[in-house]
Amino acid sequence: MPRKLDFDDSLFADLPEWADVTPVEQYEGVNPVAPIFYTPEYTDATNYFRAIVQSGEKSERVLDLTENIIRQNPAHYSAWQYRYETLVSLLPTPTPSSHPLLTAEVELMDELAVLFLKTYQVWHHRRLLVQITREPQRELDFIKKGLQVDSKNYHTWSYRQWILGFFGGKGSISKEGDEEIDEDLWASELDFVDTLLATDVRNNSAWHHRFFVVWACGVREGEEDRERVLKRELIYAKQAISLAPSNPSAWNYLRGILAHTNTPFSSLVTFAEAYAYPRESVDAKQRDIVDLENPLPSESADLPCAEAMEFLADAWEVEGGQEKIDAAVTMWTALANERDVMRKKYWEHRIRDAHLGLRGGQKKTTTA
Amino acid sequence: MLPPKTTNDGFPTPTSLSQSETEEMLIKHIPDDTSQKKPTLDKKMHMSFLVRNLVQGFPERYISQDASQPWLLFWTVQAFSVLQVGLDPGNKQRIIDKVLAWQHPDGGFGGGPGQAAHLLPTYASVCILAIVGRPGPGGGWDQIDREKMYKFFMSLKLKDGSFLVAHHSEVDVRGIYCLLMVATFLDLLTPELVEGTASFVASCQTYEGGFASSSHPSYSLSGDVLPPPAARPPLGEAHGGYTFCALASWVLLQPYLELSQEKPTIDVSNLLRWLVHMQGTFIELGGFKGRTNKLVDGCYSWWCGGSFALLEALGVGGIQNANSDEVPIDSGTGDGVWDDVDEGLYNRMALQEYIIYAGQHPTGGLRDKPPKNADAYHTLYCLSGLSSAQHHVFPSHLRKKQFLDSWKSSDSTKDELRKRSFGSILSWIEEEGASHILGGTENRLNATHPLTNLTITHTEAITAHFYEQDVPAKQRSAPTPTRAAAATA
Ligand SMILES: [Zn+2]
Repeated sequence: MPRKLDFDDSLFADLPEWADVTPVEQYEGVNPVAPIFYTPEYTDATNYFRAIVQSGEKSERVLDLTENIIRQNPAHYSAWQYRYETLVSLLPTPTPSSHPLLTAEVELMDELAVLFLKTYQVWHHRRLLVQITREPQRELDFIKKGLQVDSKNYHTWSYRQWILGFFGGKGSISKEGDEEIDEDLWASELDFVDTLLATDVRNNSAWHHRFFVVWACGVREGEEDRERVLKRELIYAKQAISLAPSNPSAWNYLRGILAHTNTPFSSLVTFAEAYAYPRESVDAKQRDIVDLENPLPSESADLPCAEAMEFLADAWEVEGGQEKIDAAVTMWTALANERDVMRKKYWEHRIRDAHLGLRGGQKKTTTA
Repeated sequence: MLPPKTTNDGFPTPTSLSQSETEEMLIKHIPDDTSQKKPTLDKKMHMSFLVRNLVQGFPERYISQDASQPWLLFWTVQAFSVLQVGLDPGNKQRIIDKVLAWQHPDGGFGGGPGQAAHLLPTYASVCILAIVGRPGPGGGWDQIDREKMYKFFMSLKLKDGSFLVAHHSEVDVRGIYCLLMVATFLDLLTPELVEGTASFVASCQTYEGGFASSSHPSYSLSGDVLPPPAARPPLGEAHGGYTFCALASWVLLQPYLELSQEKPTIDVSNLLRWLVHMQGTFIELGGFKGRTNKLVDGCYSWWCGGSFALLEALGVGGIQNANSDEVPIDSGTGDGVWDDVDEGLYNRMALQEYIIYAGQHPTGGLRDKPPKNADAYHTLYCLSGLSSAQHHVFPSHLRKKQFLDSWKSSDSTKDELRKRSFGSILSWIEEEGASHILGGTENRLNATHPLTNLTITHTEAITAHFYEQDVPAKQRSAPTPTRAAAATA
């Protein structure tokens, strides 16, 4: 059957194999407000699409039609949805992963994902397909390439995390049969994060992925010793901070893992103190001591670092008592008036909240 | 004197490089000290941008939003509302007719005629009808098929309390917000509909404090979803748009949670911390970013800036949440007494500067940041964010009581949830005399409802219609304690 290809400028209306379909106009007989100025090609294809949806036809030519629309407008979710239903109805159950329609679809998605990286639908369609092909490792490899182009793409990252979560630690089904391959999907995730953070230690998506891999999905093989894992991650975060202290991504990760493991912030006061004051006040002698637990800020770091000041104040507030609260208030005051004036209202709120706490009042902001 | 640049600690990376490029661009938009020019919101110019879109239509590049026709129209007509402009009856009717062409025969609304029903365009369509519609034949409101809408909603519901945005589509908190908003307007909230949803929303909060798009269940070997406390990781990092949707959903679910055994929790302190840190510094003109270490963008004025008002419904910030006794604060400025809690927990004036100095496109419409073009989406969310920074709209116990007292019972068994939802959504009012408008009253915008992003009048009218209730007249009231100074410029 001849296909209408995207580089072909003929319209569906001109093709004899579509002559049996009567196109359906979008707004029949009305002159709508706020119209979009469509190209003739787009109007033509969507007119035929509306007709197909009405008739309920699910055939191979519908795959051509929906591909044509998607190439013109990848956010046309109805075209995606109808395409998926059509594909499923054309595939046998169970579907061998080598079925030509399926492999063609996967190849098409590889092309479209690169073209339309920022569209929800391209990623969701892959999600639907991988549940048929059951080849998650192939997806992880593909995503890796995508993240080289756009290392903070939200859809790409959440798709990667979905793949890891959905297929658990288990491997995929081989192309040949239904036999499970004993490969650990998660095996190279931490290395992958390391590579990305080595390129850009401020990439928050990569930090989030680190949290996802190490903490958010339960405990996997080889990671059972949580104390060792916590120690490893603390050192990792602290070293990232020492390279570039004013990096909220690294501090948020550090705070996140402390909260997740119920480790008090106060256990890292020594570390944070080296970052929270002007450079002159940090004892020069301190520099000679190499302390892996408490790496010092780099020579070029800009001190004091607001994130470190905030961290210390938070640690002291939890420790409590007049002395610690006073110290915290001093820190918040310095943030409010000097280091982070934009958030003055918030720092004042923290001061007020801490005072209420000290007086035994109900603190306002906990959980709801 | 220009504000300091964001440090890169002598360690440049791709993130710090694009940050510094953005600052170079933004710095040109900071007016110098000697300039006597008043900050001006060019309402006329934005009006002509909107009228152009409404009357002439959208240029070819908007084909990419052909499946978002309800959004294009919602952004446009709501921007009119925020700018205090009403539409004439002829245009209103044409808009109603267009919206009704999107209703799907099996319930819900699609992105255009003949498109599949989807939660996002359903929300946008109902909001447009709230603005331009009316009861009766041809008015739009009574032509919404509520029964089919409810069936459509239930057909999208998953076991974990979440919802697909459309059949065979993804799950995310945008869809949940849209569904809950529509269900609240149309009196479709039932325990059956929202059971488990709050727990799902809570599971989307990340370690950073903001919310992600979705979360993923852990499965047992048999393929069943494991019950809590099984790990349920969020998919994607904390993000401004998802945070607004999750937080608004959380607030909309409070009436249900009050009556339910379900007691999920979120970490409000961490959420507040994340939100305040999304506000850029002075060199970024106080605009908001959508994620940690990303760039400021005008639309987050609403998604992040607008979230602060929602926190007031959870007891954080706002004068009605302050303990009335005076607690000394000692940040070295002011008179040492907490007298201005109602100014909010972020820098409202700075946000207004971002929108006025950087958000306005020189030829009309508003934008992400210079030198980008204006578009319909950023025009609305910059204006809504600006409005939210100007006004203090809060959930008033007094107003709520007014609605509950005037409630006409229908003897339905689900009356209690209906009543609470109704009283809760309509409890939001603007605090009188509490506006802080940069550039003076010429820049004043209409206040919008923090949950619906419609005006309070539009919110009240459509909700009262579907609940078959009356809207009692507002009592003139200022929440106590009395304000020291209402610093309206
Ligand atoms: Zn934006």
